[in-house]
Amino acid sequence: MRLACLSVPLFPLAARLRAEPDLIHEAVAVVSGNGAAARVVAATRRARQAGVRPGMTLPQARVRMPKLLARARDPHTERAAREALLETAERFSPRVEDTRPGLAYLDLEGLERLFPGDGTRSGEELLAHELTRAAEAVGLPARVGIASSKLAARVAAESGAEVVVVPSGEEKEFLAPLPLARLSPEGEVCSTLDRWGVRSIGELAKLPAAEVASRLGTAGEELHARARGRDPHPLVPREPVCTFTEGTALEWPLLNLEPFLFVARAALDRLTARLEARGLGCRRLELSLQLEPDGHDLRDVDLPSPTRDVKSLLTLVRLDLEAEPPGAPVLGFAFTAHPDRAPEAQLSLFGPAALAPGRLAATLARLFALVGRERVGGPRPVDGHLPEGFTLVDFSPAPPPEVAPEPQPRDGRGLMAVRVLRPPVPLEVLVGDNGAAGAPCQVRSTATDDEKRPRVQGRVKVAAGPWSLEEGWWSDEPTAREYWDVELGDGGLYRIYRDRTRDEWFADGMYD
Amino acid sequence: MSQGSAAAVLEPEESVLGEVRSALPEAFRSQVRSARDLSRRRRRERDDDPLSTALAPLDRLLDGGLPRGRLVELVGRRSSGRLSALLAVLAAVTATGRAAALVDLGDALDPQTAVDAGVDLERLLWVRPRRTREALAAAEILLEGGFPLVAMDLGQPPVAGGRGVEAGWLRLARQARDRRAALLVSTPYRVSGTAAATVITTTREGTAWCREQHADPLLAGLHVGFVREKHRGAAPGMREALAFHAATPWAADRLDARERPPGPVLLPFVRRRREVSRPERSQPEKPWQRLPGPASLPQEPEALAAGG
Repeated sequence: MRLACLSVPLFPLAARLRAEPDLIHEAVAVVSGNGAAARVVAATRRARQAGVRPGMTLPQARVRMPKLLARARDPHTERAAREALLETAERFSPRVEDTRPGLAYLDLEGLERLFPGDGTRSGEELLAHELTRAAEAVGLPARVGIASSKLAARVAAESGAEVVVVPSGEEKEFLAPLPLARLSPEGEVCSTLDRWGVRSIGELAKLPAAEVASRLGTAGEELHARARGRDPHPLVPREPVCTFTEGTALEWPLLNLEPFLFVARAALDRLTARLEARGLGCRRLELSLQLEPDGHDLRDVDLPSPTRDVKSLLTLVRLDLEAEPPGAPVLGFAFTAHPDRAPEAQLSLFGPAALAPGRLAATLARLFALVGRERVGGPRPVDGHLPEGFTLVDFSPAPPPEVAPEPQPRDGRGLMAVRVLRPPVPLEVLVGDNGAAGAPCQVRSTATDDEKRPRVQGRVKVAAGPWSLEEGWWSDEPTAREYWDVELGDGGLYRIYRDRTRDEWFADGMYD
Repeated sequence: MSQGSAAAVLEPEESVLGEVRSALPEAFRSQVRSARDLSRRRRRERDDDPLSTALAPLDRLLDGGLPRGRLVELVGRRSSGRLSALLAVLAAVTATGRAAALVDLGDALDPQTAVDAGVDLERLLWVRPRRTREALAAAEILLEGGFPLVAMDLGQPPVAGGRGVEAGWLRLARQARDRRAALLVSTPYRVSGTAAATVITTTREGTAWCREQHADPLLAGLHVGFVREKHRGAAPGMREALAFHAATPWAADRLDARERPPGPVLLPFVRRRREVSRPERSQPEKPWQRLPGPASLPQEPEALAAGG
């Protein structure tokens, strides 16, 4: 497979100059950061000739060149330039990989008929020059390298010449004399090899693979393979961003929610059918409402995971509209689905079935809508001594085991659980003078009936304790408690504590 | 159609199977099955198997475990071991690699206790509704989502939202039946009416307080009785006993404290309580206060017996 690498050197600067072409011949530096901490990312030739280098702070650069023009990095222009570069590449080949800003790979398979060569120059050279011209036409000074591997193509494109074509099968010879830093400029392994006296790619390629791997680990092994021209990363072409839209213009304005949901359901059915045909799920749903007489209402529904479940989507739309009605009759609407690949679960032959990811996403979305996102999830204990501490994480169960282990029933034994009272029930406690702390002998909850808290009240039959708990003594709000296990006359078995900092009693758990 | 052409339209596997069967004596023919048939049968059996609770007494009451497609109601008053049994069921199901959901109306789950009980929290979805109506809706969504076990805990009285309507429970039971999922409802009083296929009541039969000589008492665990009040196809009244021990390492060994000959039950605080004069009713605003007790406590006996 032949590949072309389309590279734009000093991409942040190139993107900025594409937006402000008048500055091309000026001394300009693109900086990242604010004020005195701003650092030069890239500079034009005039500025570089004056001694301005990437990494300098702006004041340092201004010392070398007082009239230096500084421009901050602009994400909008960079994003636009990145897209322009990819569009240029896609004019030549349908398979284009978007590697990073300012770097793209093209699959040249099948293009030899379009660029057969003209006798003096090969077809690939012609293609490379066409590519650079096309990039210049959209305002980007690009370099092109053509080779049989991504690595060789990138190294060729970054070699400095406008066009470099490495003939098929000569990648190893092309790479051999080049310095190691070309393989992986930021790798620590390169500096290690440099200390060993291995300075060129060819020298590294001559070393035995097993010895390199045993001394430098996986990173060294990978670098060695790349030095020998083996690139483990295949070309991954980008998929065009697509959205799916379904909607309808209504013959008469709708005033109520139910009729709207009726027609919306049909539109969502059509939308999910289209998504299903492409094997996609809806990650984000946009609803655009056309209001009477000429208003618009746009709203977003985010989903925890891609789904095609119409019921869930409709529930979320309903909740959104109920929470924030559009305020005017609806004349038309359109749903736009931003798709994502729907996750799939591997079925097991002998183990228990896993939850279908799509269905799980729909279930979670409906639960979020029902009780709120903060009340659904996977429970986790937190590091600390306070028994009421917990945290919630997103629920994503691990795949079930290949073979389900059968539980071994225990005869007659289990672990006693504590039912947590959240928040703790405030108590009035009558204590006996039993040592320093004093044991509770009668308790009564002070919560009123309106507060709907469990009734903790009665004579203490047995009390065990106290157990001290201290946490956060170094903080402004330290916790100091004395815990007691008490059995009340009504049969309740509670965990109660005295807050030593406030001298108040609470019940925070019931053994059940 | 001739016999040969009939064999040709059969699946290759079946035609081979037919040849093998025909070569065998009559008595063995029915015992030879294809691997596909065995796998299908095994899957069907596995999907219909009850979910073991890993507590043998509870499994016996449930005829092998939590039945799929049925609503099982676990009824118990305060401190009756209801939550302990629920966590044991969740632990048993998640240990097999299945996912489970807990609809926790009382917001009472302690994740650390769940871990101690053996629940695989990676496979547990915790939903904390605010009212019974929300809990019913959440359970229905979870059953629809394909969870093989949905456990509901309605907490302690007063239950926010009350019992819910029976139609809601019937709808939930039907959903469980359609999805072949196990539905376990833990509640302080009967709520599901005729929707429950099985009703088991839990009662605390004793509390194990352990006490070393001249030391303070320590809570070792609970002794709980389970009674099957209702079970389709079986007579009510079957009874099993179970003990739940505290999480402390020594507690499991000392659960049997109550089974030793009971000494006098030590209630020193109660005796002391008699010496305390109750605050006057005419002075309700007067806060409870620490009242002086006797200067020396009575000598406490060696072991504490069950309270109950």
